[in-house]
Amino acid sequence: MAPCMADYRVIARPNCSLSPRGRVAVVALIASFSLLVAIGFSLIGAWLVLPFAGLELLALAYAFYHIHCHAEDYESITIAGDHLAVEKRDYKNVSQIVFNRYWARVTLRELPGGEQCLLLRSHGKEVEFGRRFMDNQQRIALARQLKQRVGVVT
Amino acid sequence: MSYTTTAHHDAHEDHPSGIMRWLTTTNHKDIGTMYLIFALIMFMVGGSMIMLVRAELFQPGMQLVQPEFFNQLIGVHALIMIFMALMPAATGFANWMLPLQIGAPDMALPRLNNWGFWLLPPAAILLTLPYILALFGIGDGAIATGWTFYAPLSVQGGIGVDFAIFAVHLLGISSVMGSINVIVTIFNMRAPGMTLMKMPMFAWGWLITAFLLIATIPVLAGAVTMLLTDRHFGTHFFDAAGGGDPIMFQHLFWFFGHPEVYILLLPVWGFMPQILQTFARKPMYGYKVQVYSLWAIGALSVVVWAHHFFTVGMPVPALLYFMYSTMAISIPLAVLFYCWIATIWRGSMSFETPMLFAVGWIILFGIGGLTGLVLADVAADAQYHHTYFVVAHFHYTLFAGGIMGIMAGVYYWLPKMTGHMYNEKLGKLHFWLTAISFNLTFIPQFFLGLAGMPRRIPDYALQFSEFNMISSIAAFVLGAAQLLFVYNIISCARGGKKATDQVWEGAQGLEWTLPSPPPYHSFTEQPVVK
Repeated sequence: MAPCMADYRVIARPNCSLSPRGRVAVVALIASFSLLVAIGFSLIGAWLVLPFAGLELLALAYAFYHIHCHAEDYESITIAGDHLAVEKRDYKNVSQIVFNRYWARVTLRELPGGEQCLLLRSHGKEVEFGRRFMDNQQRIALARQLKQRVGVVT
Repeated sequence: MSYTTTAHHDAHEDHPSGIMRWLTTTNHKDIGTMYLIFALIMFMVGGSMIMLVRAELFQPGMQLVQPEFFNQLIGVHALIMIFMALMPAATGFANWMLPLQIGAPDMALPRLNNWGFWLLPPAAILLTLPYILALFGIGDGAIATGWTFYAPLSVQGGIGVDFAIFAVHLLGISSVMGSINVIVTIFNMRAPGMTLMKMPMFAWGWLITAFLLIATIPVLAGAVTMLLTDRHFGTHFFDAAGGGDPIMFQHLFWFFGHPEVYILLLPVWGFMPQILQTFARKPMYGYKVQVYSLWAIGALSVVVWAHHFFTVGMPVPALLYFMYSTMAISIPLAVLFYCWIATIWRGSMSFETPMLFAVGWIILFGIGGLTGLVLADVAADAQYHHTYFVVAHFHYTLFAGGIMGIMAGVYYWLPKMTGHMYNEKLGKLHFWLTAISFNLTFIPQFFLGLAGMPRRIPDYALQFSEFNMISSIAAFVLGAAQLLFVYNIISCARGGKKATDQVWEGAQGLEWTLPSPPPYHSFTEQPVVK
């Protein structure tokens, strides 16, 4: 990660071991063979193979498209000076909430399944962090770290 | 301070409990467990059906069942064992172990994963419901064409064929969903440092399996849909009188059906070298050449389909092509056998239950492969086609090569999954009973086939009596032995000696770095593979 001027920064994001070009290449490779088979059978009269192959490849392509759309998603907390900013990216939507560092409160709330939900709040605003990309232990550890860095601790 | 934490998207943190946990779960371990339990249940259901068949075949003449019901038992047994026992078992392992082995927190598409599993129980109901309906006078029972659905017999069949067609569609959709998930997971969610050529062999086996499924399932789906339209909508795809071609159905079916054999076996070929290296306490021999061989077999498997119907009447050049291409598969397969044997050669071997099954698997699957070479010979196949020789051959490949391989995997990973050690004595007893009774069931069937006894008949000539009697008695022992397997799994899941994280002294791989059982979410810190 590139160095930044923040006092503290944590970014949670998915791990993607396949590049965008790689995604296209995998789909193209599978689609070319599958279509070759389906078109071949269509030419000898078994044309009903083709729509099934098409549907299947659409599903495959959509799966990779879904991964592609969310590959750059992230959730971040940046503490710089008096500010604590929580930023979230979900596909094209980027949202940011800025709290005053010394008024922000860090809370862990237990969910019915026993998992912990990490919440940051201040002045009537509340935002959840770490639900998508972090597991329970990671959220608990992060809460511990955040409580040492923000003003009011609960 | 600045740091980055990486994990993958999974919005299934707050999981419900009770029955809703299992209905709505998107956790790969929960879904893997459901696949494995489903496979075990259906294995017992399919096995029970064949016990009835062997009881009928215990002596010549009609003893217990009507011929129509006998035909239904044969076909549904095969469909259940292939689509609802072996395939879900392999998918269960994939769900459980792939994320652990490649260092991913879960499968890439968890909701798709849940949906893929929950299509299976309705498919099982569809396939077996006609038996129940027949008791109430509705229809004439389940599909009676054998698992191959050959037209025109299947065009003329009862409602069981329709039920089976829709069951196959559901199973196909489930398989495609699973395959898409496996492909996306393996390509996109490997831990940093885990390049493709560092992946565990099981991941390679499953990746090629997924490719094969994607390539062939639409062909099966198209074939059975054309069958459905022939039956109900006036088309003549497979009706010679209407300008169609019944042999085209065989081409379509086996274009799917032959790769299906490798779809069932490739996952086993993936994890078996891992078991062998664990209990030989030696590194796997020839990792790269094994990967290339798996690819070669996968590629060849889609160009050899017509050897299943040499006797239907084909031009001589086609016969020669399919014969030689089929025999060519034995080359990469021989390479695999060489690597498996070289892995355990002069190893510091110990024979816990998984290793017993693995060594037994090499020998018995070897017999399956060699007898396949006999059937690949066009001239010899003219005699052996549609005899019990074929039945014995494919049981050596699919029971010994497939199911016994799965059993090795179950014993290997059960302590990791449950956190408890299974009963070793019971496991070994299960192996010996299975191996001996399996051979006593199917070696006589080789001889029956050589003597000319046709398959899929409820009655037979007196000359085949003794071998059938031996085969039936051994089959009953084989069936009863599986109760030990079920008991051992249940008792292991309920308790027993605590398993260590490593479980086996020689075990290697990321899954063994996690606690036994692994936590609900596997990796608290993303592992880095060096």
